[in-house]
Amino acid sequence: MKRKISVLLSLLFLFILFWAQWNWKHLSSFPSIISSFYSKEYCSCYFVMQLSEEQCHDFARQWVPISEFKLDKENTSVTVKGLGRTNTAKYLSKEYGCTLVTE
Amino acid sequence: MKRSLIFLLLLTFLQCSKDLSPFGGEPEVTTLTPRLKPEWPNPNWKVVPPESVGVSTNKLKLAEEYAFTRTGDETDRKGRRTDALVILRNGKLIYEKYARNFSEEKVHLTWSVSKSILQTMYGIAVKAGLVKLDDPGYYHYEPLSRDEAHKKITIRHLLNMSSGLAAEEGYESGPLKSSVIAMLYTRGRKDMGAFCAGLPLRAEPGTQVYYSSCDTNILSAILKKVYGVEEYDKLPFEKIFKPLGITNVTFERDGSGTYIGSSYLYMTAKDLAKIGYLYLNDGIWNGERLLPEGWVQFTRTPAPGYISTPYSEDLAEDNYTAHWYANTGVPERGIHEPWPDAPKDTFAGLGHWGQMLYVIPSLDLIIVRFGDDREKAFIKNDFLKLVKESVIR
Repeated sequence: MKRKISVLLSLLFLFILFWAQWNWKHLSSFPSIISSFYSKEYCSCYFVMQLSEEQCHDFARQWVPISEFKLDKENTSVTVKGLGRTNTAKYLSKEYGCTLVTE
Repeated sequence: MKRSLIFLLLLTFLQCSKDLSPFGGEPEVTTLTPRLKPEWPNPNWKVVPPESVGVSTNKLKLAEEYAFTRTGDETDRKGRRTDALVILRNGKLIYEKYARNFSEEKVHLTWSVSKSILQTMYGIAVKAGLVKLDDPGYYHYEPLSRDEAHKKITIRHLLNMSSGLAAEEGYESGPLKSSVIAMLYTRGRKDMGAFCAGLPLRAEPGTQVYYSSCDTNILSAILKKVYGVEEYDKLPFEKIFKPLGITNVTFERDGSGTYIGSSYLYMTAKDLAKIGYLYLNDGIWNGERLLPEGWVQFTRTPAPGYISTPYSEDLAEDNYTAHWYANTGVPERGIHEPWPDAPKDTFAGLGHWGQMLYVIPSLDLIIVRFGDDREKAFIKNDFLKLVKESVIR
């Protein structure tokens, strides 16, 4: 009986381990979504669609608030911090618009 | 034994009931009748009063009211939020209006309407003989050769959203496991094609329709290999936009310089109407054939994989063809027309948050609507009904 329980527990542990590993790639990249989405969509809204700063904040905002925001008009870039991660999107040209540039 | 038999019979009966269709028969895709005197916008659309092309201004007002009346709280981004509406009949502009700081010069994000223009790029590549619809993707794009299952994915499968790749297209609904969000913003953003080609398969290629931005970005990556980087960089600008007289346009790329064909093409409403007009004219522009013969027919035919796609209620919302949508329904699967009050030959490019390009050959109409709807408040069928009713019969 004891042996059966320990086998079951080991299997359960293995299952949890597998589950955690499988979801880890989702979980680990998740926090970056907020700042990358905000910076990319704001960059395109402001530099490509040429809407106002206020309208672009409204366009890019999500349910999770951001903690830092920097619109660099000179370098045509937008840097955003959210959930502890920072991301920058840069406007390249009229043809190619904005792209996320941080690693 | 008796019980097993009853169970088996019940199971068979349930399976049958899934396939019973109230419509019956194959989807009807009529051929486009050639337009005798197409009016080409060189360089701009000719503007005429609606009545001169058989459209009632008063009735068109109802469509305008529907599109431009805010129905929800603006600060909370609720309700119908139209940014632009452009309508053409017989190749002439009969209606144009903008809101929320947009204007005729400003480009608008088209989201997934981009997919339909990526499909135009394929039409051009097929016409040039550079790719064939039934080429396995790996012939041109190495990441698809990772195993025998992935090697079966053809360009046709990808255009029909039937690659079988296990993508998750959830946006706001399930951000954690959404492969489209991971592709655009996190793990896939440096090389979206490679990220997508690395997904496992959930079904035999060609057998199940699953709308996926991944399929489009693999197609985009394939084109880069087919043309080579230098030519690919200029491809949409030289081969589509220039011939159509479109100069105010932005097409964003991923970290590896691949066009994000799934999502990030920006155009003005009147320029997007030109894409619709190219398809309305069976791929001919200004008398010259840009898309191969039969391409628009392919564009208007529901994806064959629908026949074996497991039935679900959601299927009725989709009539996906080859990177466009059709109003044919798929009777074999009990899928009715998505816009029953619009003409059955209507086909469309559609995008997130309310981007729409409608082509209605039987009424010779093109409609472009841009918006920023964060909830499903803009009912396409209701709007199309109003536009249809504005045509004087």
